[in-house]
Amino acid sequence: MAISENETTTDDMIICRDVHQWFGSYHALRGVSTTVKRGEVVVIFGPSGSGKSTFIKTINRLEEHQRGDIIVDGIELTKDIRNIESIRREVGMVFQSFNLFPHLTVLDNITLAPIRVRHRPRHEAEDAAMGLLERVGIPEQAAKYPAQLSGGQQQRVAIARALAMQPKIMLFDEPTSALDPEMIKEVLDVMRELAASGMTMIVVTHELGFATEVSDRMIMFDQGNIVEEGAPDQIFNNPQQERTKLFLSQIL
Amino acid sequence: MATLGDQASSRFDALPPPPMSVGVAGWVRGNLFGSWHNGALTVASVIAIGLALWFGAGWVFGTANWSVIGELGGRFIIGQYNTEGACPGQNCFWRPQVGLLLATMLFGMAWGYAGGGVVKRAALVVAGVSAAMALLPYELDRMGMDVRLLLVANVPAVFAGMALGRYTPLGTPRWIAIVGVASFVLTLVLISGLPGVPGLQPVSVTSWGGLMLNLLLATCGITLSLPLGIALALGRRSQLPVVKMLCVAFIEVFRGVPLITLLFMSQVVVPLAFPQDFPLNSVFRAAIIITLFSAAYMAENVRGGLQALHPGQAEAARALGLHGWQITLLISLPQALRNVIPAIAGQFIGLFKDTSLVYIIGMLDVVEIGRAFILGNPEYLESARELFVFVGIVFWIFTYSMSYISRRVEEHMGVGKR
Repeated sequence: MAISENETTTDDMIICRDVHQWFGSYHALRGVSTTVKRGEVVVIFGPSGSGKSTFIKTINRLEEHQRGDIIVDGIELTKDIRNIESIRREVGMVFQSFNLFPHLTVLDNITLAPIRVRHRPRHEAEDAAMGLLERVGIPEQAAKYPAQLSGGQQQRVAIARALAMQPKIMLFDEPTSALDPEMIKEVLDVMRELAASGMTMIVVTHELGFATEVSDRMIMFDQGNIVEEGAPDQIFNNPQQERTKLFLSQIL
Repeated sequence: MATLGDQASSRFDALPPPPMSVGVAGWVRGNLFGSWHNGALTVASVIAIGLALWFGAGWVFGTANWSVIGELGGRFIIGQYNTEGACPGQNCFWRPQVGLLLATMLFGMAWGYAGGGVVKRAALVVAGVSAAMALLPYELDRMGMDVRLLLVANVPAVFAGMALGRYTPLGTPRWIAIVGVASFVLTLVLISGLPGVPGLQPVSVTSWGGLMLNLLLATCGITLSLPLGIALALGRRSQLPVVKMLCVAFIEVFRGVPLITLLFMSQVVVPLAFPQDFPLNSVFRAAIIITLFSAAYMAENVRGGLQALHPGQAEAARALGLHGWQITLLISLPQALRNVIPAIAGQFIGLFKDTSLVYIIGMLDVVEIGRAFILGNPEYLESARELFVFVGIVFWIFTYSMSYISRRVEEHMGVGKR
């Protein structure tokens, strides 16, 4: 259950202590510990297979960690389904492959969870959804189906869908990796605006420009654990670890 | 008219396609005479099709003796139902016909609720096929009310239903479902009759037959095997080992045994599942077996649709805080069912055709009533060919209607499909 108040400050949105996770016999996360503060924007980067995606999916229990503690907004993630559901209501997630529901219109994609999970009246949910579509810049697409939209538009709808639950934290799992170069910017612009509004964000991405400009902290992942973390300036200009230097030299 | 923009883009002007690749001549040249062996095949096919059409038309319009259809008459629709033995001293033909009118009206209500599209087409197809049956020649000796009139009445019935669905509070899915179940029960009561009620004297199920029997069994099988199949498919994917095992066992048993064997068994085994004095007649037992048999196949169709879904769909739904059942009902099933519409339609068509297998347990369905008629009237032995061609056409009209509706459903549901 929730840990005692004196152990954490109200500014800590996510606390991870010694988080381990196994896929069968494969040890995917090997003792990850970190804390994310309210309003902080954290970028996670690192080679593929290093456990970045697995790590952010443990935060809303899409992946189950087998050892260690994860505390989100004062609620500890346990097997208790009520805790998991209350955390999922607080945490929005955006996926690499968008994962919009193809059988629902854009508007229905956004209003589904507010109506079914938060039990908000339809007209209220639809008004809020239109507001969010304005915010991500595509209100004219509300009646279309996801497949009728470009990749960048779909990802913006996915962001609006996550925001419709009024989350306190947003997780982004490589949100621009599946997009054409000309569409990456429109998604990053929305994310920039979101960061400026004070949202707590964890972003797995290789968009290092975005990281430098927007993030407060960068975390380098390798082999299931944090290799190095620090402000973008320090990571780019003065990395402490050989592994970080090598990786940055490969992608820059 | 030419502006700077036009001039700038003139380097990339669209050119017309090369000649001989378009138009009738281009198509014929490309598709029928593309090479010497294609040309030879085309000529041979044209000759073969032409000969078949020539002799076919000669038989249909010349030598064939279609009077057998008129002699079989109304029995083709209801079997022995209205014979003196089954319905003594009365005309009972109107009873199943009222059932058909109720069904047509129900389709009309669904049309009125949906406001058009695929439901409208389905309703019009049902009314049209029903009314078209009025064009058949019938023996009219035992019919007080004109059979044709009641068949044609399906056309006003569909519009009456549409008005009910559009302009009255009955036009909601809940009411349509209630009216649907009530109509089906009422139809069964009308057809089987009520002891002691004048005009509704009981008619033994052994005399139910013809197209009526096929349609009753198919309606029952289609409406019940889809939900049952979905439940079995979900059960087979369940985390609970007992549920999963039971569903797998059910599916494998019913899929593994021929329908004919199951129908034989139904007359012996199914009664064991009910109390001794339960009024369980042979038609009911056959309907249960056909439903269960179809549900086993349906379950595998639906499971195939569920397997094909991208795991990211359920992941996104969980991330939004939806519960397991909400994910199944709102996200997984709608997509899975949409993807397997062709398989489901194929299953329904197969089920409809399989209903004629009940001849094996002594029921006179539309095929068997024809065979029985020929055997009972040796003077028509020569006309067996005409009779079965006719029965084949009747089956085809029904199955093609189903296939047509399924294609429209596919188009309708395919909006924005990847």
